[in-house]
Amino acid sequence: MSIFEYNGSAVVAMVGKNCFAIASDRRLGVQLQTIATDFQRISKIHDHLFIGLSGLATDVQTLNQRLVFRHNLYKLREERDMKPDTFASLVSAILYEKRFGPYLCQPVIAGLGEDNKPFICTMDSIGAKELAKDFVVSGTASESLYGACEAMYKPDMEAEELFETISQALLSSVDRDCLSGWGGHVYVVTPNEVKERILKGRMD
Amino acid sequence: MKSSHQPSQSWPLVAGLPGAQETIYSFFSPSFVTLSYFSFFFSLNPFSRFDYFKSLKMKLDTSGFETSMPMIGFGSSSDMLDGFSTVPSFDLPRTTDFDGFQKEAVQMVKPAKGTTTLAFIFKEGVMVAADSRASMGGYISSQSVKKIIEINPYMLGTMAGGAADCQFWHRNLGIKCRLHELANKRRISVSGASKLLANMLYSYRGMGLSVGTMIAGWDETGPGLYYVDNEGGRLKGDRFSVGSGSPYAYGVLDSGYKFDMTVAEASELARRSIYHATFRDGASGGVASVYHVGPKGWTKLSGDDVGELHYHYYPVAPATAEQVMEEAAAE
Repeated sequence: MSIFEYNGSAVVAMVGKNCFAIASDRRLGVQLQTIATDFQRISKIHDHLFIGLSGLATDVQTLNQRLVFRHNLYKLREERDMKPDTFASLVSAILYEKRFGPYLCQPVIAGLGEDNKPFICTMDSIGAKELAKDFVVSGTASESLYGACEAMYKPDMEAEELFETISQALLSSVDRDCLSGWGGHVYVVTPNEVKERILKGRMD
Repeated sequence: MKSSHQPSQSWPLVAGLPGAQETIYSFFSPSFVTLSYFSFFFSLNPFSRFDYFKSLKMKLDTSGFETSMPMIGFGSSSDMLDGFSTVPSFDLPRTTDFDGFQKEAVQMVKPAKGTTTLAFIFKEGVMVAADSRASMGGYISSQSVKKIIEINPYMLGTMAGGAADCQFWHRNLGIKCRLHELANKRRISVSGASKLLANMLYSYRGMGLSVGTMIAGWDETGPGLYYVDNEGGRLKGDRFSVGSGSPYAYGVLDSGYKFDMTVAEASELARRSIYHATFRDGASGGVASVYHVGPKGWTKLSGDDVGELHYHYYPVAPATAEQVMEEAAAE
């Protein structure tokens, strides 16, 4: 198994009507053995911007901390929150700095931009940005996730329906992957509130 | 000409050659030490020792260090020791891949059988249990594979390893058992059946079959349990677990096992062991099936979906999470 499959992960983000949802699995494993079932892969950058990282767990944690730090610094200097597309460029630059010794993770960035327009993008481990209008996926279960999201996604869903869709897509995809699952973590973000939910999934 | 290298100070051999140490100490990095020196001196090749003594009398040329000393007897390992051409001293086998066998050995021990199966003998017979997941690397190809194979109405076999191999050879074993019954007018014993299987697998040894199975049954001598694998190994025992999830299953099984259990207690122990293995092992999951083999043959006791079993053992009280309410946006 490759180094990206050492810990196992699944992250997905979807766009709805003036809202977005970002979800991840909760397993932390060492190849086939499960070590923990409450691993945090998604961090909040600010109320309207979340980043989920898949891949090697140590890099996930380190990169999360570095990005939160960079954003805090930005806030002190600019006295405002970063826009999602600016943040995506920042992440891309940080990843490319380590071009010849990269962070072994793939980020999924989701945020509400100007006029509360949802923004999602994903990157590979050296910072190639891929913007999408509907959904983005990453992790060991990414192929199953592509299939599930493609089948279940509809444009302009409201927050509740979006939550249902992303949860079903995540759970059904990780049920086909040995290395991810053991529950789910979903954030649904609208202009007024952030709803965080833990999913009850198959624990095998 | 072979160049020498500095032996370790602690090595007892060194004591006999004080001159050698001083001459060469300054030229060679002390990190290239002892093991090769040891084998150098005790190598079966008489010439190596001879050459070393000869070189003691030479003045070593330090210029053009790395390329000026051609290496004899290094053969294929020269590319390995590229930057360290000054460290010779033992003969290496002249092959292109002289440590591949180590990698092979590691691969052999790796759990190639992504599954969990277990069986144990107790007062009332034999309890056999297995999960039902088939995985290909990281992908789950099926969650509903029958891993407990019914050889005949009083014998069961478990499947671990290659599914096709297990299914075919168990069926083949069933045929042989039936032929034995017809020829001898009596049922075959568990010992005999497992021996037949082990001998069949032994004759295919090294051809890449992957079978790690347990034969469980009840014959005239009482309950019988044997472990048979593709190497042709056959072990008689009271408790076995096979597969990548077996360490987790053993943990639960061994701590809860008593010989005097009722059928209900034993089946719960078996089910719980499989459940814990599916929780921890990524390659096990699906449905935990439990079978019991008694004096009148086998019966299937339960087949519980492991996902639901988790919430049965560890119910989750629905908790309301804090919701962060934000200021309503001005625009």
